[in-house]
Amino acid sequence: MLFELIRLEFIKSFRSTAFAKSVMVAIFLGFLAIMFLSYLLMAGLFLNRILEVLAEGENTIEVLNSGLIFFFLVDFMYRYFLQKLPVIELESLLHLPISKHKIMHMLLGRSFFSPLSIIALILFTPFAFTVIGQEYGIQGAISWLGTVVFISWTLHWFMLWFKQRFEDGLIGVGIVFAILLLGGGSTYMGWFNLGEIVAPFFRFAMSSSIPLLATLVLCGAGYYMAFSYYLNNAYLEDLSDEEEVRFVNQSVGFFSRFGMAGELANLEWKLIIRHKKSRTFLMLSAFFLLYGTIFYDNPAYQDGPMQHMFIFVGIFITGIFTIQYGQLFLSWNSSYFDFFLTRKDGIKNLVKGKYLLLLSISVLCFLLSIPYVYYGWKFLLIHFATFLFNAGIMIHVITYLAIWKPKPMDLNKGAMFNYEGVGAAQFLMIIPMMVAPYLIYLPFALFFNMYAGLAALGTAGVIGILFFNKLATININRVLKNRFEISSSFRQEL
Amino acid sequence: MIKITELKKQYKEAVVLDVPLLEIPKSECFGLVGNNGAGKTTLFRIMLDLVRATYGVVEIEGNDVSKTEDWKRRTGAYLDEHMLLSYLTADEYFQTLRKIYGLSEADLHLHLAKFTEFFNDEITGKKKYIRDLSKGNLKKVGIAAALMGNPEVVFLDEPFENLDPSSQIRLKKLILHEKETSQVTFLISSHDLNHVTEICDRILLLEKGKILNDLRDRSAMLAELDAYFTG
Repeated sequence: MLFELIRLEFIKSFRSTAFAKSVMVAIFLGFLAIMFLSYLLMAGLFLNRILEVLAEGENTIEVLNSGLIFFFLVDFMYRYFLQKLPVIELESLLHLPISKHKIMHMLLGRSFFSPLSIIALILFTPFAFTVIGQEYGIQGAISWLGTVVFISWTLHWFMLWFKQRFEDGLIGVGIVFAILLLGGGSTYMGWFNLGEIVAPFFRFAMSSSIPLLATLVLCGAGYYMAFSYYLNNAYLEDLSDEEEVRFVNQSVGFFSRFGMAGELANLEWKLIIRHKKSRTFLMLSAFFLLYGTIFYDNPAYQDGPMQHMFIFVGIFITGIFTIQYGQLFLSWNSSYFDFFLTRKDGIKNLVKGKYLLLLSISVLCFLLSIPYVYYGWKFLLIHFATFLFNAGIMIHVITYLAIWKPKPMDLNKGAMFNYEGVGAAQFLMIIPMMVAPYLIYLPFALFFNMYAGLAALGTAGVIGILFFNKLATININRVLKNRFEISSSFRQEL
Repeated sequence: MIKITELKKQYKEAVVLDVPLLEIPKSECFGLVGNNGAGKTTLFRIMLDLVRATYGVVEIEGNDVSKTEDWKRRTGAYLDEHMLLSYLTADEYFQTLRKIYGLSEADLHLHLAKFTEFFNDEITGKKKYIRDLSKGNLKKVGIAAALMGNPEVVFLDEPFENLDPSSQIRLKKLILHEKETSQVTFLISSHDLNHVTEICDRILLLEKGKILNDLRDRSAMLAELDAYFTG
C-alpha cells in the first residue's frame, strides 16, 4: 500500500501540466543544492583548519563545541525559510480504506528526503572522525556526531510541526525573531554566552553515549509530535479552512480618488492582505528595508568602485515590492481574469490600479527608508534617485516583461521557493533589473562622480513619471492584444 | 447500521448542524433533501469523518467513525470531484482502487460491466485524465468508484446533478438494482425531488441544520415535499 501511494505521487508529478517547467526548476534547484553541499563538504573537510585560523592557540574541539549552538540556530533559521511542508491531496484518499497512519508516515517520511537532512552530516563527519576520533576514540566520535545529527533531525520534525501550527501567524514570526535575538543578540551584546552554556553537553557527548541516546529519543519524540499533529488534523476543514475575514475594513481610503482604477487598486490590496503568498511578499519588503544596514555601514563599500553597489541596494529597498509583486503582474488575477475582460475598460483599469498600488507601496518604502540618513545624507539622495527611477522606468520595464506569457497561479500556497506562476520571463527579469539602473547611472558616475550619476538616474525617473500615461498605455495595449492567449492560458489547470 | 447521536457542528457561535438522533437501518435507501445551507453535505462529511463533529458520535455498525477506520472498507462515497485522483485516467483510477480494495482483475471487470450502459463508452478505454473529463463524466467515475468493493453503505451527494436525462434514469436503475441484489444501504442527497422520491424509502428534510421532517410514507412524500419547497 505504501508503495502504491509512492507510485501515485510519482505519476502525479509527471503528469502535472507544469511538469516541463517544474523539471527545469528542479534541475536548477538540484544543481544549486549539489553546489551548496559540495561547498559544505569542503568546509567540513577543512573545518579543523578553519577553526585553527579563527581561534588561534585554542583547542579546536572546545571552540567547535561552544559554537555548535549557533549552527543549530542557523539550522533553525534556514529550515524555517526553506523547509517545505509535505503536501498530499488528502481529499482524494481519506474516504478510501487506507489508514491515515500510513498516509501520514509516508508524508513525513518523504519530507525527510531533502538536502537539508544531510547538512549536519556532511559538515561534521570529517571533523568527528579525524580530530575527535584521534582524541576520544572512534566511539567518542560516533557518539558526538550522532548527537549533533540527531539534534538537527529533531529540528526537522519540530519545524514540520511548528510551521503547520503557527503557519504565517504573527506568533510564528515572533518566535523566530526571539530565537534570532536570543542567539545573535545574547553573545553579541554580551548578556550571556549561549555557546558556553551549551558546550558541556557536547563535551559530555564525546565521552559518553548518554547524550546520543537522549537526542535519539528527542528525535523520536519530535517525529511523534509532528505525526500526531498531522494525524489529528487530517480533516477537510483543516485543509481548506475558511479564513476569517480578519481585515474587514481595510480599504485604503485615498485610492477611491482614482475612480475605477482606484477601486481595482483597493481590490488588489485586499487580495494582497488576504492571501498567504502575497502577504509573504509584503513582509519581505519590510525585511528588505533593513537591507541597507548590511552595506551602508560596511567600510568595504564606502569608496572605490564598490560604492556603486549602493544603487542596487537603493533599487531593492524602494522597489522590492514592485519587483516581487510586479513580476507576477497578471498571474495574481489569473483565477478571475475573465472578470476584467468582460468589464468596460476592465483591463485598462486593472493595469492602472496595479500601478497605483505598486507606486503607493514604493512611496511608503521610500518614506520608511528615510532614517538611513543616520548613515549620511548621501543615502537619502540615493534612495530618492532610485525611487524616482523605480517609479518612472522600472515599473514599466517589469510590467512589460511580466505580461510576456504570464502563467496562472494558485494564491493559497506559500511563496518561498514556490515557482508557480513563474515562467521563463520571470527568470529573465532579473537581468534588466540589475542592468537598467546601471546603464543610466554608470556612464555619468564614471565620467563625473556619483552625484552626477544619481542626478541622471533621478532625471530619467522624472521623465518616466511625466510620460506615465504614455508608458502605461504601451503595457495596457500589450495586454489587450494578447488577451485571448492570456485568458486561455489562465484557464488551464495548474 | 448507522446511528447518529447528539450530533452537533458549530463554527464559532453558529450551529450549522444539530441532529439529536438518527438511525438508518440496513438496506434502506435514505434520501436527504433541503435548501442550500441546510447542512446536507456537512452531515455526509461528518458521517465519513472528513469533517470533525463538535459534539456527538456517528457509528457505522457500532464503530465510532472518528475512532476506527475499519468501516472505510465497507463504505463507499462520492461527494465531490476532489475525491478522485485527478491526474489518473479513469482506467488507472479503477486499477488503483482495485489494489486498495484488494480485488482481483475479474472482480473489477465484473464490477465495471454493470456500468457499461451508464458509462456510455465515454469513461473506460479513454486516454484522458480525470481532470479533463466533463462534470457529468466525473460524476460517473465517482459513482462507479463509490460502489466498488461491495460496500454495505454508499454515500452519494447530488448524484443526479450534471447527468444527462438518460444517465439519470440509468443511475436510478443501478441504485435500485444494487439495493435489491446486494442489500446496499444508500444515503443520497438531492435537489431533484422526483428522482429522490422515486428511489428512496425514507426522506429526511433538513432546514438550517435541523431535522424538519422524517418522511416514511412513500405515497405522500412528493406532495409533502412539494408543499414545503413551494413555501
